[in-house]
Amino acid sequence: MKTKLYILFTLSVLMGMSGCEDFLNQVPVTARSAENFYRTAGDFQNAVMGTYAIFKNPGLYSNGTATASLLWLGEGASDNWDYGQTKNTATLPRYEILEFNVSLSNPILSTAWTGHYIGIGRANAIIEKLPAAEISDALKLRYEGEAKFLRAFFYFNLVRTFGKVQLIENSFSDPFAANTIPRSEVSQVYDLIISDLTTAENNLPTAIPAGEAGRASRWAAKALLGKVYLTRTQYDLASQKLAEVIASGLFNVTANSYAEVFSPTTSFVNNKDVILSVQYLSGLVSQGSGLWSSGIPFGAPGTLFGTTGSGDGFMRPTADLESAYEDGDLRKDASMLPSYVATNGNTINERYMVKYRQPGPQAGDSDVDFPILRYADVLLMHAEAVNELGQTSAAEPFLNQVRLRAGLAPMEGLNQGDFRLAVEQERRVELAFEGHRWFDLVRTNRHVEVMSAKGYPVEDFHKLFPVPQRETDLNPVLENDQNEGY
Amino acid sequence: MTENLLRAQSKGLLMVMLSLILGFAQAQTQVLTGKILDESGTGLPGVNILVKGSSLGTTTDANGTFNLEVGPSDNILVVSFIGYRTSEVVIGNQTSITVSLAPDAQQLSEVVVVGYGELEKKDLTGSVSSVSAKDLTKVQVSSVDQALQGQIAGVQINTTSGAPGGNVNVLIRGVSSISGGVQPLFVVDGFPISNVGIGNPLNTLNPNDIESVDVLKDASATAIYGSRGSNGVIIITTKRGKSGAPKIELNSYVGFQEVSKKIDLMNAQEYAQFVIDGRNAGYLDNFPAGNINDNNATRPGVNYDVSDKYRNAASLTTTDWQDAIFRRAAISNHQLSITGGTDAVRYAISGGYFNQDGIIINSGLERYNFSANVDAKVSNKVTVGFSLLPSYTSQQDVPTSGHTGELGMINSALSMDPSIPVYNEDGSYGNSIPPTDGNVAIQNPVKIANELKINASQFRMLANAYVDYAILPELKLRTTFGTDLNYFKDSRWNPSTLASSAVVGPATASANTWENVNWLSETTLSYKKQLGADHRIDFVGGFTAQKETSQRINVSANNFADDLIENINGGIVNAGYQNTDINTLMSVLGRVNYAFKDRYLVTATVRSDGSSRFGKNNRWGTFPSASIGWRVSQEGFMSDVAVVQDVKIRASYGTTGNNAIGNYRSVSFLGSNNYVIGNAVTPGLAPVTFANDNLTWEFQSQLNVGLDFSVANGRVNFTGDIYDKRNKDMLFNVQTPSATGFTNALVNLGEVQNKGLELAVGTRNFVGKFQWSTNVNVTFNKNEVLAMSSDAERIFAATGGRGNTNITQVGDPIGVFFGRRAVGVFQSDAEAIEYGAQPLARAGDIKWADTDNNGIINDNDREVIGSPHPDFYFGFNNTFSYKGFTLDIVTNGMVGMDVYSAVFAINNSGVHNNAKFVDEARWRSPEQPGTNDVGGVFGRAIRGGRNANTTFSSAYIFDASYWRIRNVSLGYSFPSTMLSKFKIQQARLYIAVNNLYTFTKYFGYDPEVGNAGGNQQVLGVDWGTYPMNRTSTIGLNITL
Repeated sequence: MKTKLYILFTLSVLMGMSGCEDFLNQVPVTARSAENFYRTAGDFQNAVMGTYAIFKNPGLYSNGTATASLLWLGEGASDNWDYGQTKNTATLPRYEILEFNVSLSNPILSTAWTGHYIGIGRANAIIEKLPAAEISDALKLRYEGEAKFLRAFFYFNLVRTFGKVQLIENSFSDPFAANTIPRSEVSQVYDLIISDLTTAENNLPTAIPAGEAGRASRWAAKALLGKVYLTRTQYDLASQKLAEVIASGLFNVTANSYAEVFSPTTSFVNNKDVILSVQYLSGLVSQGSGLWSSGIPFGAPGTLFGTTGSGDGFMRPTADLESAYEDGDLRKDASMLPSYVATNGNTINERYMVKYRQPGPQAGDSDVDFPILRYADVLLMHAEAVNELGQTSAAEPFLNQVRLRAGLAPMEGLNQGDFRLAVEQERRVELAFEGHRWFDLVRTNRHVEVMSAKGYPVEDFHKLFPVPQRETDLNPVLENDQNEGY
Repeated sequence: MTENLLRAQSKGLLMVMLSLILGFAQAQTQVLTGKILDESGTGLPGVNILVKGSSLGTTTDANGTFNLEVGPSDNILVVSFIGYRTSEVVIGNQTSITVSLAPDAQQLSEVVVVGYGELEKKDLTGSVSSVSAKDLTKVQVSSVDQALQGQIAGVQINTTSGAPGGNVNVLIRGVSSISGGVQPLFVVDGFPISNVGIGNPLNTLNPNDIESVDVLKDASATAIYGSRGSNGVIIITTKRGKSGAPKIELNSYVGFQEVSKKIDLMNAQEYAQFVIDGRNAGYLDNFPAGNINDNNATRPGVNYDVSDKYRNAASLTTTDWQDAIFRRAAISNHQLSITGGTDAVRYAISGGYFNQDGIIINSGLERYNFSANVDAKVSNKVTVGFSLLPSYTSQQDVPTSGHTGELGMINSALSMDPSIPVYNEDGSYGNSIPPTDGNVAIQNPVKIANELKINASQFRMLANAYVDYAILPELKLRTTFGTDLNYFKDSRWNPSTLASSAVVGPATASANTWENVNWLSETTLSYKKQLGADHRIDFVGGFTAQKETSQRINVSANNFADDLIENINGGIVNAGYQNTDINTLMSVLGRVNYAFKDRYLVTATVRSDGSSRFGKNNRWGTFPSASIGWRVSQEGFMSDVAVVQDVKIRASYGTTGNNAIGNYRSVSFLGSNNYVIGNAVTPGLAPVTFANDNLTWEFQSQLNVGLDFSVANGRVNFTGDIYDKRNKDMLFNVQTPSATGFTNALVNLGEVQNKGLELAVGTRNFVGKFQWSTNVNVTFNKNEVLAMSSDAERIFAATGGRGNTNITQVGDPIGVFFGRRAVGVFQSDAEAIEYGAQPLARAGDIKWADTDNNGIINDNDREVIGSPHPDFYFGFNNTFSYKGFTLDIVTNGMVGMDVYSAVFAINNSGVHNNAKFVDEARWRSPEQPGTNDVGGVFGRAIRGGRNANTTFSSAYIFDASYWRIRNVSLGYSFPSTMLSKFKIQQARLYIAVNNLYTFTKYFGYDPEVGNAGGNQQVLGVDWGTYPMNRTSTIGLNITL
C-alpha cells in the first residue's frame, strides 16, 4: 500500500515537471507569428501585398467610403466638393476640413498620418530583410522596387500634407525608440522619395500582365517621380520623366472614352488611361468599394441609384465645379449630375458625384477601381512642366489630347500665364473626385488666390495641415515643432 | 491496584447492565422536553438540537423550549446556536432537560480557508475575511459574487448589468492594473478556475452549494498564489458530507421581479414642443436669416423641418416605451440535498434548478446543477475523495446597451417619438423607419427583442480527486488532480426584417463554440505540530502544474434566401475562424506558520511561478511574503482586563504578480492584410503587433497593518486594516508614435498605488429573547497612477458615442472622466459674444471653462471632470430575531463616484431621448432657465447647433453616490413541537425583497450600471445598460 502510494505521488510530481521548459514554451497555433517571417519568396510576396493593402487604409483611400483621409485632404479642402450631411458631432471633423477650421485632434489628420506610417513600416521591413533572404535576384529586385515605390508614395503624400515629417527608414524593436524622433526637413524627405523612385523605376517591370493588375510598373514609378519633380518645381527633370512615360506608347487617351476609364466593365488590359489604381472587388469579400453608394445624395434611398442602403452625400459637387465644365464637355455627365428624381417623381436639385457609378452591387461593395495615376494626369503634368520651361506652344498638344477626348476644341496660342490657368482648369475637371485639386492649388501656390476669391477663409498657412495631436502627445519634440498657424 | 481495577471493572459492568435494563424499560421511544437558556437565563429560540450520531433533531420555539422523541440508544444531545459554544449533554434517563449555553467569546476556533490549507482564526496574521453560507443565501441572486456585495470590507462589487446572469465586477482593494485583468483569482475547492463562460462565469455555481467564501486580501495571504495573487483571491469551498444519518434539505423560493425604477418620459405633446424648439433653434443657429415661421420648403434639409404633426400635437397619444419592454418576470430556485456518512465515508449530493426570466422581454437565465462529493478513509493513514460539480446554464439575451444604431433597446425606448405606437393599426410594429417628420431612424425595441435571437448555453464540470497519506500523524502528503471542463456556445440571428435604420436589411447569423479545458496537478506536504508547551509550527510545501487550453470556433453567414432558417444554415457562410489558446503554469510553493506561546505569530510564504505567457527572457518569477502577529490579549498584563477577550496586532509585507494579460502577448503577430491583384483576392500579411521578449508579470508589493479585537464577551468584534499596495511593471498597451509603424505596443511600465482603510465591526446589540446583531463594514480606497511611460502620457478611452471620455494619467486615479468643464448656460447672445471663447455660441448654449485662458475653447481645455471610483463604500447589515421570527436587512452603498450618462448626452438634438427631466431642465429663455434637480448642465433644445453642446463635458457627469436597501427578508422558523409531528427537523418560511429601494440623486436606471463590463479604463458610463430588478420572493427551507 505504502509503496503504491509513493509511486502515485512521485508520478504526479513527475507528470507536471516533465520537460519543464517545453511545458512553458507555448507558441500560437492558430495565428501567424512574425518569428519565422521574411524568409521565403512567398513571405515577401505576402508582405508586399500587405503593403499594397495600405491603399485601403482609412488614412488613404479606405474602402472607398467617406472615411478616405487622402480624398478629404487632397480635394475636400478645395472648391470642388462639399458634403451632403449636416454638421453634427459625428460629421464635425469633415466640416473642419471643408471650413478651414481644423482641430489638432481631427481624426482625418491622425488616421492619414498613422495609415501612411504603418505603410512605411511595412515597406521598411521588406527593404531591411530582403538582402539576407535567399530568393532569386529577379524577385528581390521586384520586391525592392515595389516596396520603395510604395514607401515613396506614402512619404510624398505625407510631405505634401504635413510638410516636415519624421524620416523613418528602419523597423523598430523598441516601442519607445520613436518617442523623440524629430521631423526632418522637407528637402531630406524628398531626397528619399526621389532615391526610392529611382530604384523603383529601374527595378519594376515594364509590363504588368492582366493577372498582376494592380501592381506597380516602372511607368507608375516614372509618373510619380515626374509628379514629385513637378512639385519640387524641377521642371526639366519632371518633363523628362513624364516624357518617358509618354514615349512608352503603352498609354493613351484615345482608346477609351472618359466614362469607360472609370467603368467596371473596362478590363485592365483595355484601359489605356490608368497607370495605377486602387483595386476593388465586389462579392462581399471585404474588398469592395463604397464610393458609389456613399457618393449618392445624403439620405436618398440607394434603390433609386441601383444600390442598397442610403446615400452619404460624400463628395457633393459644388455649384462652382458644376459651372467649371465648359459647354459640351463630355466629362461632365460622366462625373456629376445636378439632380435626381425621387420616388414620388419629384426632381430633387441635389448635385452628386457619378464618376464611380456601378448600379447593381450592394452598398459598399462595388468593383470600380480608384485611379491613383492616370495618363491624362501625366499629359497635363507634362504640359505644365514644358510650359514652365517657357515652351508654351510645345506644351499645347499634350493639353489638347486631353481636351479632344472631352469633346472640346483645342487651346492654341496662349501665353505662358494663360496656359498655366488653362492647365489648372483642365486638371480640375479632368481629375475631379480623384483627390488632386487641393494638392494642385498648393503646388502652384494658388490656394489663397483661388479659394479666397470664392469666399473660402484660406490663408497661406493652410497649405499644410497640422501635425496630429496624437503624435504631438506622444512625442514632445513634435509638440514644439508644430506647423505655422496651428 | 488490583482492587482498584476490579472496582472499576465492576462499575463498568454495572453501567452496562444498567443501560441494558433502562434500554429494555424504554424499548418504546419517549418524549424528551427541554429548555435552552442564554447566559442571562432567558430562553433561546431557534437553537438546534440534534441527537448525536443521528438525523433526529429539532429547534427550540420562541420560549426556548423543545420536544423531541428519543429512542433508547439516543444518549447525547448536541445543542448548537450561532454565537454560542456548542454543548453536548448526556440524556441519561432524564425526560426533561435544561441547558444553559455560554456565549462564544469570539469564534476564535473558527477555521479560515487559506490557500493550500486551513488556519485557525487566532493564528492568522494576514488579512482574510470569511462569509458563511448563511450570509451568502440571504440575497436571492444567481451567482455568489453578487451575494458578497456589502458583506466584506475591501471588496467592491458592482453589478454592472441587471440582465439575468449579467456581468459583475469584483475588485479587491481597488483597481490595481490598468490594462491587465483586475478581477481576483477564484479558487473553487482548491482549483483556480478559468474565469470564462457565458455572462458571469460564477453563474455555473449554485450559491446554495457553497459552505463558505474566504477572501484573501493582503500579500501575506495572497503570495501563496504568486503570479495570480495581486488582485486578491476568493476561495470558494463547497459543502461536504458530515458523519451522521442522512440529512435531507430542501431549499426553494419563487417570486417575481420588476424593473427597480422607471424614468419619467415626456408625453407626446411635450415631445412635440421639444422637437419644434430644437429644430427651430438649429435652423436659426445655422441660418440666422431664417424665421421660425418659415415652412419646411424654405428650410434647408430635413434636419430643421417641423412637421404638421408636431405643430398640431394636441391629439397625439403617448406611448411609454418602457412599459412595452419591461415586464413582471418570474424567478424560482429549488435545491434538494442529501448529506451524511459514517466516520469512514462521508458524502454530499445535491441537485438544483434556477430559473430567472429577465425584466426585459425575451431575456432570461436557466440553470441545472448538481454537486456530489465523497470522502473516504480507506485506512488509518489514507483518505481519498472526489467532488463533481456539473452544471448546465442557458441564457437568452437581448441587446440593451449602445446607440439606437446598434439596436440598443434602452436607447431606442428612451429615444422613440412617444406619439408612435408599439403596434400600428395593421398589427405591424411602430417605428421611425424610414424616418418621418425629420426624425432619425429608430427601431422598435419590442421588435428588436422579439426578432433578434441571442442564445447561449454552457456546460461546465469542475471535478477534483485527491489522495491524503498521513506519513506520520502530523506529516501529511496530499496529491490532487482536478479539471475545469467548460464548454459554451452562443448563436445570434438577425432576420432580414430587422435593421436599425432600414425597413429590411440583410439577414445575418453567427455562432460560436468554446471549449475550455483546464487541468491542475498538485502535490503538497504538510506538517503541523505542537512542540512543547510554547511552540506550534504549521508548514505546507508543494509543487503544482496547470494547463489551460481554450478553443473557439466562430462562424457567420449572410446572403440568406429567406428568414425561415434562423441560423447559419439558412445563408451562405462568409466568415469564420478558429482560435486555440494554451497557457501553462508551473509552480513551487511553501508556507510556514509559527506561534510562540500562542502570542507571537510569524508567517512566511513563497511561491515561484513559471508561465508560458511571458517573454523568453522573463519566464520565472518568485513572490515572497512575511507577516507577524502579536496577540496582546495573551500577555500577562492583559489577564486582568476582563472586558477584552482578544486583541491582535498584525503586519505583513510581500509581493505578488498579475499574469492576466492574455496569451502570446510577447509575440509579434502577422495580420491578414489581403489585397486585390488581377481581379482576385490575394493574400497579404503584415506584422500587426510588436514583439517583446522581456514581457513579464505585473509586480505588486503590499504592506498591511491590521488590528483585531473582541470585547464585551464577544459581543463586539472589530477588524481594521490599513494597506498600501503598489503595482509596478504594469502590462501597458501603450500608444506608440505612428513612426514605429504600429499604433500600440504591450510593455511593462508604470506604477499604480491603492491605499486604503478597511473597518469591519460586528456587534450583538441585544441577546436573549429579542436579538439584534449588526455588521458594518466600510472601505476607503484611494487609487492613484504614480508613473506611466512618461509624465505626459495619457491613455484615453472612449465609449458612449462621444469620443474620448476617460483618461488614465499620472496623478489621478485610473480612468477618470476627462473633458470640458461646463460652467453654465449663456443667458443671452450678448453674454456669449462677450465671453468670446466660443464664437459660435448663442443664448441657451453651454458655456465651457477656458482652462488655458487662450480665448479659444478646444481640446486643450479639457480637464478631469469626475471620477468613477467611490471615495468609500460600505455595507450595513442588521439581523433581528424574536420568537422564531428573523428579520434581515442588508444594505450597501458607495459614495463619491460619478457616472457619465451617455444616454442623456445623445439628446438635445430634438430627435433623441425623451426623458422628462431633460424637458424640465432645458433652457428656454432667461426667464425660463429650466428646473434642474438632477445635476449636470442643460442647455437649450437644439439640433445641429453650431456650439456643439453635445461635446463631451461635465454637463453629462452626475453624482452617482447611493445607498441601497439590497435585501429585506423576514423569516419564521416553525417550532419544533409542531414539526416533530411531521418528522421534520427544521422548517423556515421567509419572504424577501431584493433591491427594495436605492437612495440616490442619479436619475438613470441605476447608479451602479456601467457599459464597459470589466474594462477599468471606461468605468462609470451609462450607455443604456440592462436595468436592475426588484425581486420579491417567498421561500421555504426544510430539513428532514
